[in-house]
Amino acid sequence: MECYLGIDVGSVSTNFALIDKHGKMLKKLYLRTAGRPIETIKSGLKMLKEDLKDDIEIKGVGTTGSGRKLASVIVGADVVKNEITAHAVASISEIPTVQTILEIGGQDSKIIILRDGIVVDFAMNTVCAAGTGSFLDRQAQRLGIPIELFGEIAIRSKNPTRIAGRCAVFAESDMIHKQQLGYKVEDILKGLCQALVRNYLANVAKGKEINPPVVFQGGVAANSGIKRAFEEELGMEIIVPEHFDVMGALGAALLAKKAMSQNKQKQTNFYGFEAAFKEHRAESFECNGCPNLCEIVQIYVDNKLIARWGDRCGRWSENVAV
Amino acid sequence: MRIGVPRALFYYMYYPFWKIFFEALGHEVILSSPTNKKILKDGLEFAVDDACLPVKVFHGHIVDLLDRVDVLFIPRIISIEPGEFICPKFLGLPDMVKSSIPDLPPIIDSNLSVYKNRKDLIGHAKSIGTDLGHSSRLILKAYTIASTKFNSYKKFQISHEQLPLDSGQKSFFDSNSSYFSRHKNKCLGENTLNVLLLGHPYNIYDNYISMNLITKLQKNGIKVITPEIIPVKNISAGAKNLKKRLFWTMGKNIIGSTYYYMDCGKALDGIIHLASFGCGPDSIVGELLERKLSRNRLVPFLRINIDEHSGEEGFNTRLEAFIDVIEGRRRN
Amino acid sequence: MKVTFPHMGNLYIPLRTFFENLGAEVVVPPLSSKRTLEIGCKYSPEFACLPLKVTLGNFIEALEMGADTIVMAGGVGPCRFGYYAEVQREILKDLGYDFDMIVLEPPQGHFWDLIKKFKYITNKKSFKEIYLAGKLAWKKIILLDRLEKMVNRIRAVELEKGKTDKAYKKALNLISNARDEQELAFARQQIEKEISSIKKAKERNLLKVGLVGEIYTLLEPFVNFNIEKQLGELGVLVERSIYISQWVRENLLPSFMKSKEPEVLAKLAEPYIPCFVGGHGRESVAQIVSYAKQGFDGVIHLLPLTCMPEIVAKSVLPMVSKIHSIPVMTLVLDEHSAETGLRTRLEAFIDLIRERKEEEEFGVLSWD
Repeated sequence: MECYLGIDVGSVSTNFALIDKHGKMLKKLYLRTAGRPIETIKSGLKMLKEDLKDDIEIKGVGTTGSGRKLASVIVGADVVKNEITAHAVASISEIPTVQTILEIGGQDSKIIILRDGIVVDFAMNTVCAAGTGSFLDRQAQRLGIPIELFGEIAIRSKNPTRIAGRCAVFAESDMIHKQQLGYKVEDILKGLCQALVRNYLANVAKGKEINPPVVFQGGVAANSGIKRAFEEELGMEIIVPEHFDVMGALGAALLAKKAMSQNKQKQTNFYGFEAAFKEHRAESFECNGCPNLCEIVQIYVDNKLIARWGDRCGRWSENVAV
Repeated sequence: MRIGVPRALFYYMYYPFWKIFFEALGHEVILSSPTNKKILKDGLEFAVDDACLPVKVFHGHIVDLLDRVDVLFIPRIISIEPGEFICPKFLGLPDMVKSSIPDLPPIIDSNLSVYKNRKDLIGHAKSIGTDLGHSSRLILKAYTIASTKFNSYKKFQISHEQLPLDSGQKSFFDSNSSYFSRHKNKCLGENTLNVLLLGHPYNIYDNYISMNLITKLQKNGIKVITPEIIPVKNISAGAKNLKKRLFWTMGKNIIGSTYYYMDCGKALDGIIHLASFGCGPDSIVGELLERKLSRNRLVPFLRINIDEHSGEEGFNTRLEAFIDVIEGRRRN
Repeated sequence: MKVTFPHMGNLYIPLRTFFENLGAEVVVPPLSSKRTLEIGCKYSPEFACLPLKVTLGNFIEALEMGADTIVMAGGVGPCRFGYYAEVQREILKDLGYDFDMIVLEPPQGHFWDLIKKFKYITNKKSFKEIYLAGKLAWKKIILLDRLEKMVNRIRAVELEKGKTDKAYKKALNLISNARDEQELAFARQQIEKEISSIKKAKERNLLKVGLVGEIYTLLEPFVNFNIEKQLGELGVLVERSIYISQWVRENLLPSFMKSKEPEVLAKLAEPYIPCFVGGHGRESVAQIVSYAKQGFDGVIHLLPLTCMPEIVAKSVLPMVSKIHSIPVMTLVLDEHSAETGLRTRLEAFIDLIRERKEEEEFGVLSWD
């Protein structure tokens, strides 16, 4: 069977999506990156290999996310795309009329505005953590609530506590204060959901025209409390797509499918699942060529240098004997 | 005498004038290195922490020049267009440097203000020349040479759409000045995507600070248009659409260019505004831009805020996504 | 027509008098509060300075109360304040409010423009009527300045805590309600009587602190957490470098009515900032030198985050402070500032200058 693979390497999670030639999801994986992207990519490949029948033939591979370059040299990718485009492509495949995509992941969040199936505007958060999943994780941990139950409990609240502060640090100190005063847990959780949504709309989505259909994706979309808070704040229905947690990977797979179908002659660059059993090593050194002192990253496969990046001048990255 | 000129702030606008002027007076012009990690680090260390990134970078360039010049050139730039100002930090730049960096060589900090009259540029030249101990006759002669060449360079810059981009150690002016070379801003035929790049010259042309933004756009086959290569009369025509005259020259250039392209129906595929964190005028100008553009979403708009913590990864992601957006629109 | 304007300290008192006496209906926005700040920030550019955000909040609250004409001051730069009104107008329009915005640009020889605008707001009142209303408002301003000065001096030494502020509140009401010059003169007598009746402690070693910096953060107690009152409660005599009368002189009165005082003062800043840098950046430095010469024990420098003129001032402060041997503390204010943090720093600063003063008393200060 002909298949396409998408890999989304982020700082919090590394996701895989395997689709067939009609774009149907065959298998998805959601793994913690835990600061070890190479190992995570390899273990993902192994898990896929074990799960799949032998008649699978990978016709194309796409990578995305902040580690898209790294993933592409490890697995051999046909398409390397930024995560904004990848998310939009995946969303359109599920809801073709989508006009707004709210995406909240572990370390970053974005908004994508589409009109007639084309991305016309987008924004990404930069510095503020108060609009991301790790903020919720942290607060859930502080309150001793498993993150999986966060949304469920928050929805029960009838009288949400107002958590002030546009910034994670301030929101956190306000929450601790409210907790000490003895507010109900569900009210605090709902208050946190509202604070996150408020922060998101005030920072990431500032000045953007939010029209329905609105799709909410990314890891945080699992939290029904946030979905509800968005619905209340925007006064619109919010759609959470089936594969909300691996949309980046799905988009990368779809992009690979599209790229390969545009050029039938082209063979995939995929190294095969054997890539998972090769020995990969990442090294870095500081270049002393100029006062920039760039940190150069070098990737070795079975002790052979295959990729280099990080230099501003191109002196190293342009000279890799592959 | 060796006169140190920092490769920062107004370098991107006035360097040709200063270089010719100083050389005509018989001095040697020493340019600081292109911005690099060490310059940035020194800037962050010496400048007052509330300052904006470009002012911090400027401090770094001063440190870079310290040991190799006899005198530093830090003009107090008050106004470069009649009735308009530059950001207040330029007005106090020599004062900021003097109190932030120890063991400085002598500084030439003569005022440059044409607030009342455009011809006051000659006063600026006179006071520099006098500080250096030259006769009025020689100063006048040097000024005449410098201003004539400078004006024809400015004209050349617009007619040949020449962006003031340094290449390596070479200054943008030195690499073109000999013949005002015929090399044209890459014009790539009808299918070229046109992007209007807005921002202060010292942000967009500093390859380190802008993370090679212009080169990255050009590599994607995009023609980059900046206020520096738009004829002055077009900018003024655009700026007239503002209810109230904008009193910062660079802000006016940014708004004027945008309004000119938007209101005159010029073909444009995208607009990028590169703003620096903590920049006062940018916070106002950026808001006006964004509101104007979001009312009639005709052209995709990307605003990038840069500061000393900006990572290139996130920057590239945004840029790539933006290029996808404008290419997607062009295809439809 | 329902006229409104932004808050800046007690400025609303003379403004209300002025417009009401000219027959306009006035909507004074609620005093700046957390809500004002929150809505102001919500709709303002993130990197704009604090006064733009808070005054935008004032406008929204006033429009909610039915105001339809906003009166705002302008400027010719290079400080951002000169373009506030333009940005705020766009923001409010995008929010869907229907209003008229009248921007009073500094006269600079165009005094008649200003009168024309007043005529428009007040439905073609005569020049004489405008003059008379202006005169009463100006007298109120002068009295308010005097009141604030008295209060800042006495609060530090009041025997009965809170007495001064009670008198201050009452005085504001008296000034606010005075309908003509006669009533104002009477109010003044009452206020002086009341304030002089406050019992004072005999403090031999009273600390004196000067307040300098950006005008809005100095004059608006909401954004500076009522710093004058806090210092008074810490037993410190406070003197502020700018009063409303000065702002009105600089921004609204024709140039022949301007006092020469600022120019004389600016000379003091010459070794550090020889040139105008917008706003009051140069004046802040000059005032610090002046306070040092008058024997003050310390100076607090206030500015909103990213304020351009005051950043220039801040960069030369270490030098000024060293040469004139006066401790200076800079406080940068924005929407995230918290009162507890400010209080901690104020107390620490006061402890520092108190210790310094005591050492001086006993003659053990170093010789540098």
